[in-house]
This record gives sequence, C-alpha cells and structure tokens, in this order.
Amino acid sequence: MKSILRIALGIIAALGGFLDIGDIVFTTQAGALYRYDLLWAVALGTLGIAVYAEMCGRVAAVTGRPVFDVIRMRMGFGLGLVALVASTFVNVLTVAAELGGLAIVLQLLFDAEFSLFVVLAAIGLVFVVALLPFGGIERVFGYCGLLMLVFLATAIHQGPDWGEVAHGFVPSLSDSKLYLYFVVGVFAAALMPYEVHFYSSGAVEEGWDESNLRENRLNASVGYALGGLLACTLVVVSGFLFHPVGVDPTDLGTAALPAQGAFGETGLLLALGGILFCVGGAAIDSSFSASYNLAQFLGWEWGRYRGPRNAPRFTVSWLIFLFLAMLIVLTGINPVEITEYSVVLAVVALPLTYFPILMIAGDRSFMGKHANGLISKTLGWVYFAVIVTLAIAAIPLLLMTNGGGG
Amino acid sequence: MHIGRRRPGAIAALVALGVSLIAFSGCGDLSRDELNRGVESLSALAAQGELIANGVARDATKSTYTRVMAKTLGGEAEHEAEKLADAEPSPEVRKERNAAVQVAGELADLFSELQTFPGDEHHGALVEKHMGGVKDQADALVERLTGEEA
Repeated sequence: MKSILRIALGIIAALGGFLDIGDIVFTTQAGALYRYDLLWAVALGTLGIAVYAEMCGRVAAVTGRPVFDVIRMRMGFGLGLVALVASTFVNVLTVAAELGGLAIVLQLLFDAEFSLFVVLAAIGLVFVVALLPFGGIERVFGYCGLLMLVFLATAIHQGPDWGEVAHGFVPSLSDSKLYLYFVVGVFAAALMPYEVHFYSSGAVEEGWDESNLRENRLNASVGYALGGLLACTLVVVSGFLFHPVGVDPTDLGTAALPAQGAFGETGLLLALGGILFCVGGAAIDSSFSASYNLAQFLGWEWGRYRGPRNAPRFTVSWLIFLFLAMLIVLTGINPVEITEYSVVLAVVALPLTYFPILMIAGDRSFMGKHANGLISKTLGWVYFAVIVTLAIAAIPLLLMTNGGGG
Repeated sequence: MHIGRRRPGAIAALVALGVSLIAFSGCGDLSRDELNRGVESLSALAAQGELIANGVARDATKSTYTRVMAKTLGGEAEHEAEKLADAEPSPEVRKERNAAVQVAGELADLFSELQTFPGDEHHGALVEKHMGGVKDQADALVERLTGEEA
C-alpha cells in the first residue's frame, strides 16, 4: 500500500513538475499561430522525454550513476567537457528564463518593480532549498503545479471541435519556416536536457536501486504522459481563444487569459498560481542540474541530501549559477526572449546529452538484464535520429525566422 | 612589411563598407512588407487588449494583472508607434504609414486608460469597444497593404 502511494505521489509530482516556461511559451504561441496543428509535435516531444527519462532513471537505479557521470565515462574528458560547457550555458540561460518568469508572475499578482521581484524570487528559491528536503521540494512544486489543471478545465469549458483537436495529432509538415521553427521549439521544450539531468540525479539523491524500476517506469510513462496532456491543453485553449482573433502571446501573462475567460478571477489566479509553481520548480531543477553536471563531471561531492557542509563546492556552484541567472535577467532582457533562445540552443546540446544515455542504457555488460529491450532500443534510436535532425535545423531556423518573429 | 602596407587600404575599405551598410540600413525606405508586419502586430495587440478589457468589464479579473499587462502592452504599442513614425516610408505607402502611426497612438492611449482604471467596469467596457474599433482599423490597413482580407 505504501509503495503504491509512493508511486502515485511520484506520478503526481511528475505531472505537476513537467511544464516550465519554455513549454508554456512555445505551446501557447503554437496554439495562437497554428491552432491545433502542432499538437502532434507536443505529443512527439512528450514521448521522447518519457523514453529518455525512463532510460536515465533505469541507469541511475541499476548503476547508481547519474547522467553526467555517464557522459564523462562514455565520451571521455574532451567531448565530455564540450557537453558540460554547452549544457551549463543552456542551463544558466534556462535558470534566467525561469527566474524571469517567476518575477513576471509575481509582478502580475502584486504589481511592483520587476527587478525587485527578480531579486525576491532568487532569495525565495535559496530559502526553499535551504529549508525543504529534496523530496519536499519536488512534491511542493509538483503538487502546486497541479493548479495548471485549470487549463484542462478551461479546454473542456471552451468546448472546441474535438474532431479538429484530434486531427492536430496527425503529424504534418509545411514549407513555412516559422511552422518548422515552432515544431523544433515545441519538441525541444519537452526535451530540455536539464530535465533528464535532474531526474537521474534525483534518483541517486533518493537512493534508488533495482527495486525502484517499476516506480521509474510509471513516473516516466504515466507522469510524463499526464504532463504532456497539460501541455496539449495549453495549445488547445490558446488555439481556441487566440487564433481566431489573431492574438500573438509574446508575454507570459497572456497565457493565463484563457483561464480568466472561462472562470473569471478565480481562473486567472489558479492559472497564475500554476505557472508560478511550474516555473519556480523548473528554476530549482535547472539550477540544480547545472551544479549536478559540474560536480559530477569534476568528481566533487554532490547532492542536496549531503548538505552544504559535506558538499560545499556543489552548494557554492549552485548559488553562483543562481546569481549569474539573476544578473542576466536584471540586464533587462525579456525573459520570454531568453526562453526562446535557451530552448532552441538546447536543441543543439541534445545529442551530446542523449547519445551517451542511449549507449549506456543499451550496454548489457554494464546494465545486465536491465539493458534496453527491443522497444526502448528502437524508440531510443528513432528519437536520436529526430534529435540530430532538429539539432542541425535549429540554428538556421532561429536565424531565418528572426527568433520566431517571422 | 608587405602586409603592413596593405593594412591601411583594407581598413579603409572595411570602414567604407561599414559606413555604407549603416547608411543603407538606417535610411532605407519602409517597405510595404515591413509596414504590414508592423500593422499586424498592432492588430494582435488590440485583440489582446480587447480580451483584457473584457475581463475588466465583466469584473472577472485582478486589477494588478490588468495594470501590469496594460503597461507592458501599452509600451509595445508606443514602441511600434515610434518605430513607424521614425521610418521613412516609400512614397506608395506614406498614407498607410501615417494611418498606422495614428492606430498605434490610439492603442497606446487605450492601454493607458486601462492602466489608470484597472478595476472600473464602465471604463473596461468602453475600452473593450474602442479596442475592437482600433483592431478593425488595423485589419482594414492590412487589407489595403496586402490586398487580402485580414
């Protein structure tokens, strides 16, 4: 009974913690521009992150090694260093975007200077991390992120043509560069590397072993699938409300408008609360990921469970990354723009993250009977081919579409 | 030595290229396409403003949300107005450019109104109606510029 409850809680945390500012921005814009046409890309990205998160969790449970440990082991120091620099750059940009997102939501709720909220958000995150245990952080942000379910209720309330919505899950390509840019963005937002870095390091933090493999499978399949459902509802509500009237949701606050339209002030507050916790959780995940990667690559003691005294360099690096992110947002760059660049640049770093995972998870000499089976292997390689294709296309599309500005 | 003799010429050529690039990029005519993109973004802003004002009119929103959103979107409308006003339009779109600047100015004023009265349902309803009118003006301009229905 206890283990069922733990699995259920894990799934709920995964559901609430799936969305971040990148998902919110790209899915809302995708809905506004292309109505339901990009739902297939959200579904494809969700399946991708589920496949790779399952592999990462399995590797961590069986070998006790998190992702970056595996990257260094498999790729050696040189290529591992390239992966570290690339992922740290993207991670810091992501932390900045999430921190900026937090400040935007706080500003929408309390209306004071944006820069004040940036500093308060950073200080708040330090306090949360200092006061709560690892599992507590995950659950608080995961459960409160469930406020995003208001978007599911909004979609049902709006009552779109469900046949048209279903048609959106049929993959379609276009020669429009902007459409392709959003395919890349929506897909990449679901597969941000920090998500698997955090997931596997978290598994090690929580002392997973082979007995947690079932929990891992359920978290990855059911948890991410439900999280993907939330991402799809963002496309649907945005497509329903914004597309017909031509709204271009370039501000994070606009994403909350459909919930306000359906349920008034209560809907607005639930939506802003959901965004606040999702973005706050992602700020912690991505900042932890940056420190996990550095510590694991350099062989430092790491982990929230060890405490600052036993893992001082890990703790200091986390504070430095958070501080750097705060400085980036305080320069006045629009957090939504930072988000778009961090998501698209992350695509370029994706192969460096996912290739070593795929190799290790399929290595029988390393994983024994828990190595990738036929389905994991096939899905893993298919996704890797997609990831490489998108990595090649990402930067040209970013430049040709003026960062999605058309 | 040989390289040293060539360097001043190369630098001069680079400077000339840079200056001409800056000159051409700064003083180029505002094309029909660029103007159209600007007007389309004004139409999108008006549509968003209409939804926000609708929340105010129905007393279905939070005043801090309205004020901050109106400030942000009003700033974007002002920026668009300045950008369009500063640009030198090509002769065939001069009239449309002037109309676009006027639309952007009206939009900025309406957002300013929302920012000042974020909890006033009566003002909200008026702004919603006017936003709709401004959006229609912007869409009509797009139609004139593209020859297609917006």
